[in-house]
Amino acid sequence: MTMSCRERVLGALKRESMDRPPAAIFTTCDTIGMMKACGSSWPEAHSDPQKMATLGCAQADYFGLEAVRAGFCLTQEAEALGCPIDMGTATGSPMLKGHPFSYNPMKKTYQLPEEANLPDIDTFLNTGRVKVTQEAMAIMKKTHGEDYCVIGGNTGPFTLAGHLLNTENLVYSVFTDPEMAKKWVGAIEPYCKAYGEALLAAGADVVQMSEPSASTDILAPEDFTAHSGQFVKRCLGDLKGMKVLHICGDSEKIIPYMFDTGVTGISVEEKVDPYLAIKVANNRGAMIGNVGCSFPLFKGTPQDVADAARKSADAGFNSISAGCGVPIGTPDDNIRALVKAVKDLA
Amino acid sequence: MSKEEILRELSEVVSGCRPDDAAGIARKALDAGIDPVEAINDGLVVGMGIIGDNYADKKIYLPQVLVAAHAMYEGLDVLLPAIPKGDLADAKKACTAVVMGDVHDIGKNLVKTMLTASGYIVNDLGKDVPPQVIADTTKADGASVLCLSTLMTPTMDNMAKAVELVRDSGYRDNVLITIGGPPTTEAFAEEIGADHRDDNSTAAVKFIDSRIKG
Repeated sequence: MTMSCRERVLGALKRESMDRPPAAIFTTCDTIGMMKACGSSWPEAHSDPQKMATLGCAQADYFGLEAVRAGFCLTQEAEALGCPIDMGTATGSPMLKGHPFSYNPMKKTYQLPEEANLPDIDTFLNTGRVKVTQEAMAIMKKTHGEDYCVIGGNTGPFTLAGHLLNTENLVYSVFTDPEMAKKWVGAIEPYCKAYGEALLAAGADVVQMSEPSASTDILAPEDFTAHSGQFVKRCLGDLKGMKVLHICGDSEKIIPYMFDTGVTGISVEEKVDPYLAIKVANNRGAMIGNVGCSFPLFKGTPQDVADAARKSADAGFNSISAGCGVPIGTPDDNIRALVKAVKDLA
Repeated sequence: MSKEEILRELSEVVSGCRPDDAAGIARKALDAGIDPVEAINDGLVVGMGIIGDNYADKKIYLPQVLVAAHAMYEGLDVLLPAIPKGDLADAKKACTAVVMGDVHDIGKNLVKTMLTASGYIVNDLGKDVPPQVIADTTKADGASVLCLSTLMTPTMDNMAKAVELVRDSGYRDNVLITIGGPPTTEAFAEEIGADHRDDNSTAAVKFIDSRIKG
């Protein structure tokens, strides 16, 4: 009997032996080609649950990818917590236009979390695109849940705290006032946890959290657990369901710490060689990735993409995926090349 | 305290990430009669160079770089006003910007810091900057260097547009253009007609120096 896409992705996350890994994108995947194919586009698809669901399923409906996913950017929680947002355009993602809370480590003046008048959890979950994405999960579960894994994307606590406070200032304080930094990330953690739980309750099979501000381009590997990992453990690792942690950049030195958070799997970029990533991961969980986004997906040829996909598969990745969010200008043929290269492995 | 000791203190206040002490040591340098340009180049900049090299080698990470940069700027705030205006006439000008559609500016800020440490007068245009503003300002400033950054792939088109508009303005031959940010590649730099692409600020400014200062 043929394995369904859903069974294949769940099997991959459980690291079961299969004839081939799935071609399933866990990070964002909503290209211009997908928008044209399904008739649902940015910026409306960020804020309308049906349009979000339609676009979130387009990768499977029109391109043969083997999971569906929604939540298209990392600003939705920040907006619900008070950040002003420019919702972007058909080809430009939403942008933060400011930070609602005062946090100046250079002058050592801080608004404390308890003084910030943050909304209660229920209000947060029922605000804006945080609510929209839950509704989209429910639609996607209904229309595609039998055949596909539904993936809900959210934002990691260190990254989200940076959105609220100014990432550069938060990062500065990791050196000068680490306890204040941790106090704020700790105050944000319950929102991340509640959102993950809400995505699962609404119909998601997997919560995929992106924590780019904890990458080794920013934090020292030895600071990861203190400033991000311990909070990720509580707001993602402890969720009852499948969970995947994505961190950008060269993650070689933090792969063990990423698994310490208790997640089912981790998603890594091509900046760590796939064979090295598998070795460092040491069979601690599912490995997802790591076909390069800028190259080859966006700027390479279909042959480049197929070669990279086969390399990740050969290295032992459990799900062949983009190494980060798929660039929206990625050519259709490159998406199809990834899918074909993986499916031809069987 | 000897001149050498004060210069070493200026270097160490940066490399040791001590912004609270930087202004005081810079004033001490002026009080001792040290030429402010020398205090910058043989003091603060030496310290920032150590930080830049250690960051490029992943011996330190972004938090320390940000605090060290703050220390350098605290020292510069004291020393720059003490330089006679005529002495700055030969300083090269640079523009930095994150292109329109993107607000992630930490990488751009690092390039600005390393340019400043290397003696450039930097006009930082900020983030989410329209390509036309980038081209117009580069020409109006008479900049020798333009550094563009983006973290996002959709905004790479605006990077190309900015370079195109600099070319259209007739100023392209007067300015060295470098780009950076995770989605950029050397092939993309070549495709859009930029001179260079780098993935760390220290190496980028070393390249710029090699082309501008010879």
